[in-house]
Amino acid sequence: MATLTDNPLLSAGALEAVIRNGGDPEWLAEERRAALRTFMATPWPTERDEDWRYTQLDRFSVTNLEPTDGPASREVSERIRMRMEDSDAEGILVHANGETIERIAKIREEGVIFSDLRSAVRDHEDLVREHLYSTVNAHAGKYHALNAAFWQNGTFVYVPKNVEVELPLGAFTTADRGGLSMGRTLIVVEDNAKVTFLDEYTSDPFDARLFHGAATELVLGPGAKVRYLSLQNWGRNVAHMNRLAAKLGRDARLESLTVSVGGDAARAEVNSSMQGPGSESEMLGLYFADKGQHYNQYTLQHHEADHAFSDVLFKGALRDASHAVYSGIIVVDEGAQKTDAYQTNRNLLLDAESEAVSIPQLQIGANDVRCSHGSTTGPVPEDQRFYLMSRGMQPEVAEHLLVTGFLYEVMSRVTLPKAAEYVERVVQAKLGVPGVKEKL
Amino acid sequence: MSENRLEIRNLHARIEGGAEILKGVDLVVPAGEVHALMGQNGSGKSTLAKVMAGDPSYEITDGDILIDGESILEMEPDERARAGLYLAFQYPVEVPGVSIANFLRLALNARREDDDEIGVMEFYEKLQRAVKELNWDESIIERNLHEGFSGGEKKRSEILQLLVLEPKYAILDETDSGLDVDALKVVSQGVNAARGANFGALVITHYQRLLNYIVPDKVHVMSDGRIITTGEKELAMQLDDKGYDWIKSEVASGAAPA
Repeated sequence: MATLTDNPLLSAGALEAVIRNGGDPEWLAEERRAALRTFMATPWPTERDEDWRYTQLDRFSVTNLEPTDGPASREVSERIRMRMEDSDAEGILVHANGETIERIAKIREEGVIFSDLRSAVRDHEDLVREHLYSTVNAHAGKYHALNAAFWQNGTFVYVPKNVEVELPLGAFTTADRGGLSMGRTLIVVEDNAKVTFLDEYTSDPFDARLFHGAATELVLGPGAKVRYLSLQNWGRNVAHMNRLAAKLGRDARLESLTVSVGGDAARAEVNSSMQGPGSESEMLGLYFADKGQHYNQYTLQHHEADHAFSDVLFKGALRDASHAVYSGIIVVDEGAQKTDAYQTNRNLLLDAESEAVSIPQLQIGANDVRCSHGSTTGPVPEDQRFYLMSRGMQPEVAEHLLVTGFLYEVMSRVTLPKAAEYVERVVQAKLGVPGVKEKL
Repeated sequence: MSENRLEIRNLHARIEGGAEILKGVDLVVPAGEVHALMGQNGSGKSTLAKVMAGDPSYEITDGDILIDGESILEMEPDERARAGLYLAFQYPVEVPGVSIANFLRLALNARREDDDEIGVMEFYEKLQRAVKELNWDESIIERNLHEGFSGGEKKRSEILQLLVLEPKYAILDETDSGLDVDALKVVSQGVNAARGANFGALVITHYQRLLNYIVPDKVHVMSDGRIITTGEKELAMQLDDKGYDWIKSEVASGAAPA
């Protein structure tokens, strides 16, 4: 791959413009510059790197992007408008082409901060400074260094001690121009507080290629409860790279769901660090790739403390010469006794041209633990297809039911009804179920 | 002669690349009649059922299957179903995440034009009638298809589907196996409710027991991939008393009609 210094989008000069335009305080400017140095010093991943072996790297290339000229539209698109109406969120931000263009907040609970990240840097500097880069920073890898240096805007959520935010909060990230965009979500939930957050990425198709890098940092204090949903439904011209990393305090509980249904290529890295004893992390993933889409998912369940629980379930269906990679590892540190950790990946191949690679791993440093992992990849069982067709269902209707049934194990565990309905609708629209059109 | 019948002519079939299992089956079930097909394990009964429904794991090497005079041999399983054929499976599969109600609505709409979906009221009335016929609680229709069902419930579901889909011809593949007497009565009640001038059925069973409740118009006996004899309903009782070896020797000696 070409060196990045060739790319004016990613130069030190470009970074200074980002810092200037955002009016960053000096500490943040220094963080960004350090991240750029790390980025420059870090080689691009290659197929020789274990974590990238099966990734089709050229589809995540950022060297050949051509930014669309002219000022970006600040209009909220019809697509986003409809999604906003369909959500029952208390607060919504819309990020378009790296700018925050809409903020609606009807938050009733006291002390909750819900803001775009740049405003939060200004208005809640100490809080942001304490937590920003605490779970996803430049050392997480080449692409994350890029994000750490160049993130344009994003979302900041802070929920103080003992406050439960009743309805979900969410951000829609969209674009209508090519090039590079970088977003960041920082969610800090203090002791015994509770919040649900939806990060949705979606766009109408447009001609230029877009690379979007996303970083999500979740900080859960003792007893905090967080539901987090990442829903990637970009137009087909977008490459999406996302890292979600959470650290969990004592008895905290995280339920995350990572959905990949859009874009050309997407890589989702989902990490949970069980730092407090008794913490719990349920990490669900769902993907449905068609027409040559390429999805990568990586999970890390890092058990640092004892008596913690984690459960990964990633399921995906593939068709039309699509490609998926799942790789996950459970790491149990020495001393993390009574760990309970599970990891499952299942792939359903709807045709012979599609391919899924699955690599579950364990690395256990304690002796009194319960851990299991497993993966399966296979075609639709012929007896199931035959049964459905024997009821008169056309092959495509049978396929729809089989995919629905296969993904149900994940869907049934999603505790956000509106979001679950939408995901189901997107999947059905992709399957071409008669009478079902994805609402934009 | 009426063309309204399910007909099997000299049917030969095998597992793809394997040995022949059906070795020339001839059988006619006229509309309005219920026939029993009896035979020992391995005689080819279940294979016949699956081959008729179009199971892709079998290969037909000779013969024909006709519905009302039209060959269905070249049809895919879904086309055969839409032509009026129904198979009640011996081992129905589970489809998680899809309720019985949704499943049946999709199956009914698959039989209709795109712009002619079944009305909600019409559908639920039909479904409720069937549920009632089987002495089932109405909540069953919201349960996911066969997920966590007992063997008996799965069999009952197969008959429920039959009642809702209203096929012209049904094949019941050992629907009685594993059922206690109460379940057997309920299932039979469902099948009897479907009986009528426009409905024909082939009831495959090991045992005469089922035929106390679903009284057949004819009994066919299958052995080694062929129908070896056909008789009236009394034949089933005799078989139960005297066993399959008896009927085989009767046929061999010419005492029973071959």
